[in-house]
Amino acid sequence: MEITKEAICGTLESNDLLVKVAPRDELEVVISSAVMRQFGARIREVVEETLRKMEVSHGQIMIEDKGGLDCTIRARVQGAVLRGSECGELDWRVL
Amino acid sequence: MNNQLDFDLLDPQENADGADEVRQLLRSSDLEMDGDIQVFVVARDRSTLVACAGLAGDVVKCVTIAPAYRGTSLARKLINEVQHVATMKRGHNHLFLYTKPHNVPLFEGCGFYKLVSVLDSACLMENTPVGIRDYCEILRSFRHAGKRIGCAVINANPFTLGHLHLVRQALKQCDWLHVFVVSEDASAISYADRLDLVRAGLDGLERLTVHGGSRYLVSKVTFPCYFIKDTCVVEACSTAIDLLLFREFIAPALGITHRFVGTEPFCPLTRKYNQDMHKWLESASGDGPALRVVEIPRLEVAGRPVSASYVRQLLGEGDFEAMATIAPGTTVALLREKYAVRAGRGQRVAQLKSLR
Repeated sequence: MEITKEAICGTLESNDLLVKVAPRDELEVVISSAVMRQFGARIREVVEETLRKMEVSHGQIMIEDKGGLDCTIRARVQGAVLRGSECGELDWRVL
Repeated sequence: MNNQLDFDLLDPQENADGADEVRQLLRSSDLEMDGDIQVFVVARDRSTLVACAGLAGDVVKCVTIAPAYRGTSLARKLINEVQHVATMKRGHNHLFLYTKPHNVPLFEGCGFYKLVSVLDSACLMENTPVGIRDYCEILRSFRHAGKRIGCAVINANPFTLGHLHLVRQALKQCDWLHVFVVSEDASAISYADRLDLVRAGLDGLERLTVHGGSRYLVSKVTFPCYFIKDTCVVEACSTAIDLLLFREFIAPALGITHRFVGTEPFCPLTRKYNQDMHKWLESASGDGPALRVVEIPRLEVAGRPVSASYVRQLLGEGDFEAMATIAPGTTVALLREKYAVRAGRGQRVAQLKSLR
């Protein structure tokens, strides 16, 4: 999936996260989290796995996390990528 | 009480009553409504306005929350709405925000990061932890060794022999010169054309790099007054944010030691910017190392200081012969080809001129 425009998904509420995506030549994932020390590595894992499954190989992914659970992180990253790409059909089975 | 809040958009140009409400709310926090705001995100508790945040392009400002609603995480909701509106409806996902320094922690909680602050009056933030960092990294790849590294920032609207003179004089005084062209597309000549003309005009000169501008340098973000000259009071314009960004980030990234500028006989705002340069770049206190500001007397042709505004006036009059005495051939040729006033209006201007 190709990120062709800037998009945003999520909120800054507790237990949620705000994901911003933008077109870039390389893949860059920037994570800021209220629980960076405890869960920073895990958040990155979930984000990168979600991007892999959606076949996103380049773009800037900016995450402002307020303690979102894994499922929330996955959903917000998917939402932002979908909004930022012009894709019609989506294979939900692989996600 | 937060649960019942409604968020809405308000265009201050179209909705006069709404704009008055916003103005009142801002006044209760000692803020004025800036004229360049295109839309406000507002929060209402039933019909009462309780919070607002203005958006001018990619800049968030005039943000305030009624005292009774502070400490309720309303700021996060408000800034969240602003980011969605800016990204999805206006295509700006990289945002800047003006606030007072004591509010910085509040906006840090909303995903904004501090760039610079001016004493206790104003602070500029951006909604990414890597914005200025990435920009400085790019700049660092253009670093050149030397004792005296110069910089000149020009709008070049359009490039004249005066700009060429400034660059030549600056080159005499430094080992390498970085020339930045203001990238805001708010001038008579487009940014792409201005940049082309600068490159063409400086072609052949050694020891210099021509850089495109950025949001961090003389832009509507850092120095909005420059682009709305007609409507603002020169004394009230803040040049500090722009100059401190230069001093704390751009100059250290490139190792700049000297900033060169032409003396300004005409425009009072540019003259103030030049004066303020001494204050904000040269003073000992400040986060970045102090710089030297060197003012170079403006080039004069036939007893008249060369200026881009005069070139534009000659363009309006269609007088390319006179233009050729103060602008290089590449500038004259491009203006003639792309910006010459069409027949009807040109004739009128010519008539006016002959009357004078």
